Amino acid sequence: MQRSGWFSLLLGLLLLAAWELAATGLKLSTLVLPAPSMVMTALLNGFASGYLGPHVLQTLLEVVLGFALGSLLGFLGGVALGEWPAARRVLMPYLVVSQVVPKLALSPLLIVWLGFGATPTVVITALICFFPLLENTLTALQHVAPQRLELFRMLRASRWQTIWRLKVPDGKPAILAGLRVAVVLAWVGAVVGEFIGASRGLGALIIAAQGSMDTPLMFAVLVVITVLGWISYQGMVWIERSLLK
Amino acid sequence: MLQMRQVRYTYPGWPPVVDGVDWAMAPGAIHCLVGRSGCGKTTLLKLAAGLIQPEAGLISLGSQPVMSPHPHMGFVFQSPTLLDWLSVRDNVLLPITLHRAAQREDEAHAHDLLARMGLSALAQQRPPQLSGGQQSRVAIARALVTRPRLLLMDEPFAALDAITREELQNDLLAVCQAQGSSVLFVTHDMAEAVYLADRVAVMAQGKLNGAVQVDLPRPRQTGMRYTPRFNALCAELRAMMDEGV
Repeated sequence: MQRSGWFSLLLGLLLLAAWELAATGLKLSTLVLPAPSMVMTALLNGFASGYLGPHVLQTLLEVVLGFALGSLLGFLGGVALGEWPAARRVLMPYLVVSQVVPKLALSPLLIVWLGFGATPTVVITALICFFPLLENTLTALQHVAPQRLELFRMLRASRWQTIWRLKVPDGKPAILAGLRVAVVLAWVGAVVGEFIGASRGLGALIIAAQGSMDTPLMFAVLVVITVLGWISYQGMVWIERSLLK
Repeated sequence: MLQMRQVRYTYPGWPPVVDGVDWAMAPGAIHCLVGRSGCGKTTLLKLAAGLIQPEAGLISLGSQPVMSPHPHMGFVFQSPTLLDWLSVRDNVLLPITLHRAAQREDEAHAHDLLARMGLSALAQQRPPQLSGGQQSRVAIARALVTRPRLLLMDEPFAALDAITREELQNDLLAVCQAQGSSVLFVTHDMAEAVYLADRVAVMAQGKLNGAVQVDLPRPRQTGMRYTPRFNALCAELRAMMDEGV
């Protein structure tokens, strides 16, 4: 690990120590701010008892499905809108409006349409992941160097060949950056989706913990979400580095 | 081989950038086009390539009018325009692999071209790992891999240092002679034009002002650059360019 990495770790440990001291020293109610040691105990108990595992798996499944679906549709939409300016002019305002609508407000509607369970959460996650991929793919396809396009014209490449053998590989850094953003947002989408219409998953667990005033468990779930989000982001960074070698 | 008759081209809102150009090239000939920046050289080359269509006049290759880029033409741009995500070998084979799978014979030809350019050891490298001169060599090999009857070159060595430029000029002459390709080479360097060409045309304000027949023996050798005849030809071209202003 580099020196800056060690400093970063040290800073984290200092903050945790300060939090622990403040929570115990000031005798704050665990309902308001439980000490990190209590959060850790709740976390370990949750995993040891098998209580947390199914919720983690449920959210993980929704994140993976929503991320895959939203990213794929965003990428394909970006390619389509990048290639057909008329479609871009007609559809883009509606796509922007669809992103401006708060996803939490959409959740009750999706439950009405799709029922309870994982489906509305997957749809919300996909909706959140869709836009970064659409925007980044669209921008990448529109910024290919004109001389490269002229080269492909000179080589008598078809439109499909120009897309798949020039524009997409050329835009790979921007498209992968979109995936990196989307994978983080996927966790937000899944957890927010579970707040309203789910009985399983980490979002549903936060609501349940709130109902039973189990603040240490709420913090424990937040720790799990943070760690999983961080792992998925780092995984995407690793994939990006491998693909851009 | 290449014939241009009364070719004219105008960008909207501007006077004709190419105006009534007549030119003919015999098979295997190397012709250069010199002129000041903005005189219409590159536009004339793009017209010859079929990348743009003349508003008047006729351009033909053999007996066929040039309506679009032709499979028997190769084009080398001002910058190497290589694809960074492909290896040197795959860049060279691109004109073939865009239309069909590369056969063993194609691979052998690409390897031979790279060997002639002194790039065999770099076949698996990516373009960003190469120097400017090496990238220009790869671009020439790519243009020649389909064994084009006509190679069109748009100031491909303009950004290189003098010694690298001379090396590349020798490489180009050797490879084109081996393949029997004709070359139409655009440059603003009069010494380069005299060294490479059988015939040099002078262009000014969209018109061809005249031409000089280069009677230096082939194969060209670096020592010829310092002979009185070489200097006399350069002086003749310079005078013609000054008249055209």
